Amino acid sequence: MNTKKRAIWVFGDYRNYFQNRVTLQLLAKANDLAPKISAEVCAVLFGQGLDQYVAEYIAHGAQKVYVVEHRSLKNYSVEKYAVLLERLANDYQPETILVGATSFGKEFAPRVAKRLGTGLTADCIGLKITEDGLLLQIAPSFGGNLLAEIITPNHRPQMATVRPGTFQEIPHNNELRGEVVRLPIQKDLPEDRVRLIANERQAQRDQRIEDAPVVVCGGRGMGSKKKFKKLFDLADLMGGEVGGTRPVVYAGWLDTDALVGQAGKHIKPKILLSFGISGAIQHTAATTEADFIIAVNKNPNATMMKMADVAVVADASQFCTALIKGLKARIQA
Amino acid sequence: MDFNPCMKHKAVRKSVRKFAETELGPIAHDIDRDSRFPWEIIEKMRPLNYFGLQVPKEYGGAELDCTSYAITIEELSRVCAAIGLCITVHNSVGAYPIVRFGTPEQKKRFLPRLASGEQIGAFCLTEANAGSDAGAVETTAIYDNGQYVINGTKVFVTNGGVCGLALIFAVTNTDTQGAGASVLMVEKDTPGFSVGELEDLCGMRANPVSSLFLEDVRVPEDNMLGRPGDGLKIGLNALDTGRIGIAAQALGIAQAAFEAAVKYSKERQQFKKPIASFQTIQNYLADMATEIDAARLLLYRACAINDAGQPFGTEAAMAKLYCSTVASRVTNLALQIHGGYGYSKEYDVERYFRDAKITEIYEGTSEVQRLVIARGVLSQLT
Amino acid sequence: MVSELPWDSKTGTLRRDLAEGMMNPACANALEAAFQIKRRYGGDIITITMGPPMAEEVLYEATAMGADRGVLLTDPYMAGGDTFVTSHTLARAIEKECPDFDLVLCGCHTSDSETAQVGPQLAEELDIPGVAYVEQLEINNRTVRMQRLSDNFFETLEMDLPGLVTVTTQANAPRYPSLSVLETAFGKPDISILGAADLGLEPETIGVQGSPTKILDVYSSTAKKKNLIMKGTAKKIVDEVFEKFGDRISGAIKKDLKTHYHEKKP
Repeated sequence: MNTKKRAIWVFGDYRNYFQNRVTLQLLAKANDLAPKISAEVCAVLFGQGLDQYVAEYIAHGAQKVYVVEHRSLKNYSVEKYAVLLERLANDYQPETILVGATSFGKEFAPRVAKRLGTGLTADCIGLKITEDGLLLQIAPSFGGNLLAEIITPNHRPQMATVRPGTFQEIPHNNELRGEVVRLPIQKDLPEDRVRLIANERQAQRDQRIEDAPVVVCGGRGMGSKKKFKKLFDLADLMGGEVGGTRPVVYAGWLDTDALVGQAGKHIKPKILLSFGISGAIQHTAATTEADFIIAVNKNPNATMMKMADVAVVADASQFCTALIKGLKARIQA
Repeated sequence: MDFNPCMKHKAVRKSVRKFAETELGPIAHDIDRDSRFPWEIIEKMRPLNYFGLQVPKEYGGAELDCTSYAITIEELSRVCAAIGLCITVHNSVGAYPIVRFGTPEQKKRFLPRLASGEQIGAFCLTEANAGSDAGAVETTAIYDNGQYVINGTKVFVTNGGVCGLALIFAVTNTDTQGAGASVLMVEKDTPGFSVGELEDLCGMRANPVSSLFLEDVRVPEDNMLGRPGDGLKIGLNALDTGRIGIAAQALGIAQAAFEAAVKYSKERQQFKKPIASFQTIQNYLADMATEIDAARLLLYRACAINDAGQPFGTEAAMAKLYCSTVASRVTNLALQIHGGYGYSKEYDVERYFRDAKITEIYEGTSEVQRLVIARGVLSQLT
Repeated sequence: MVSELPWDSKTGTLRRDLAEGMMNPACANALEAAFQIKRRYGGDIITITMGPPMAEEVLYEATAMGADRGVLLTDPYMAGGDTFVTSHTLARAIEKECPDFDLVLCGCHTSDSETAQVGPQLAEELDIPGVAYVEQLEINNRTVRMQRLSDNFFETLEMDLPGLVTVTTQANAPRYPSLSVLETAFGKPDISILGAADLGLEPETIGVQGSPTKILDVYSSTAKKKNLIMKGTAKKIVDEVFEKFGDRISGAIKKDLKTHYHEKKP
């Protein structure tokens, strides 16, 4: 074997809060996996003015941080970053590279994998080490209805993008120490063929229903437009967004933007609360990636009820009122 | 003998199904409950040629073969029978008689607006005292100086509340009763033409079925389809294609009910087992599947004969008789399989059940179909 | 129907031969984008798909809607490929069938596996600039300007042709083919069918064999769900929900919840 220590690399995605969090989550998981294959956990960071991230990643478990800092790397660039990571990986031969499945990560990682001639599993929701020391990548398939266990037996590095929120980050620990390896920018990096013309941070308040941690969905079973409004109160209370089925959009209870369905928004919340929705395939296909579903319906046989983790047999509107009351009473002031 | 649909027929089915499931699926329940005609969907259907299914391309139609036409109606009706009804009536007995019997001038005048859906067509034969007995029509059209003056009342007019052009059966020669029936094309805004209240029907509630009143309605003689006295011929011919449409509609409803029954019987647990595991339910499902398949083959055969340019009246009547019978039976069993839930408006199967019944009645009752079939059989086997 | 796509339990790959020949939703958006580009700037639209023989239906559909010709890549050796070999196969087909292409449009992801990897990897294979998740695009001379929302950043990007974009389902509303067009399109659409040998691809470099990733197992994710049924008065159920899942709810809404709520009772 190589004299170099084996390594699990985590790509440092930091452009916004959520991207940064998934990096920390991956560092935690890498720390969980690394001892099983006697590997060290490394973070790889590209950009400019990265000191705060270097420190943060070490405090969250990176034993080594590779840093390439240069003003030409200030803005995220798929092409430049892909070439850089490819070259670093060729130089240091990591066993595994983990990338957060953010929009950037999902565009960037496939290109790195292609350049390295290796496999890549998308959007993993579980990682393990097999008895043979391989990375077992667990990824959803068929709109989340199936889970696939995937390995990359003969190619290195083993690469996976991982869905944000899958793993728990290690609490920040200032006692932790790590090595910082600062690498110079390479002179022959190719020019960007894709030019960034404008880049505007979306207002933080505008949470998209696709990204919301809590989604409250309502269907015809809510009864009326007036009753449907209660769902907004519930969503506000939970920091979530309201979505609905096509009939309620047609009925004018909800804006078309908030249609959750094959032709509308696909959601993947940590909790989906489904009120009075029977579960036509057009709707359910867009909700299968919800981590946890609480469905409320008078009819226990509704498809949505079968799909749910918790199926509440009750009038949707009445239960919504009770839940709002219960939640208000419990939320610590 | 090839039982596999060709690529075109598969594509037509896929395309219509996608449209129906996406656009009509979410509202089918509500428009039935509210008896609402969904203009917003009609607007979407217009540019896709749903209103010119069998109209020649030169007049803006799709010029579909009969099989594609049946598939279109079947797939629309599988999701929303009331809109399937609007489309089939508009096409088969609204536009098609003009395609078949209209003069070049009449085609130019009327077909483009029908094919684009700008005008929805209606076919007005039935009256209070004339249903199956087409000869008993009492509406009159009296010739007066280059015009016909029409007087009478038509009932149970499908698309009545929304029609832009009505084909009116009226007696032009009052001496000869039925033999004197003729067909006149009357546009909605003609003075004296008015729409009565919408009928409150058991099923097909999203279709604005209504009465039409004709009080001294004057139309130019150019508005007569065919010659005076051609009414019965045109009517019978229109009904042949009309029957294909209603058969297709019945088949679509049966298919929807069957799919619902299969789904429900796999989900519904009794005695800790899905009810689909019980032999009684399996027997029901087996019968339903077999009958639907037989109905479909009968219908497509009638279409194929028509597409080959051969007389298909008897086969169309057989298809209509059998498909509608199957639709009633299958929706009844599907409701039974659903038990109490099936009787609830929360489930679509109750709507299928109500919608299916009329297919045994309109466009010629089952009794009349048997008459037509018997006549065909007797004339063939002398 | 997405949820009922059959999979082969032995190889763990989708049995695309049993799935109805449905166009992937995001690909319908890519096709719609192509129609809009053609209307504004002209050009020929060539659709390419890889799959079992029945995938040809999708090409018929595309032609019916206005594409100029179609290319079906079908070969038992191509079956079961991961994105690495799929992008390789597609790239060779593009180089063979339309070497002078200006723009490659892909759906941003498939509705079955949702990897979203083929587009970016295809750009690498063709060595052209590529941008994923595009919501709007316009072309000026040989420059494409694109807009997208990426990780909460509104980005405006430019690249010169030839290039590749993947299109989101938010980009446009795919048209339904009109029945009249369907009726005409089935005369003799221009569809070529190619196998591995036609592309000069060795069986071991494509399909299941050539894929770096291997599927060990596939199982239903819903089978693992408990499906706990709760009945009773609304108030009682609410208490039960918090009792059993309070931690989970607290984590998702990032607010602390009183855990001993009902112990207030005497």
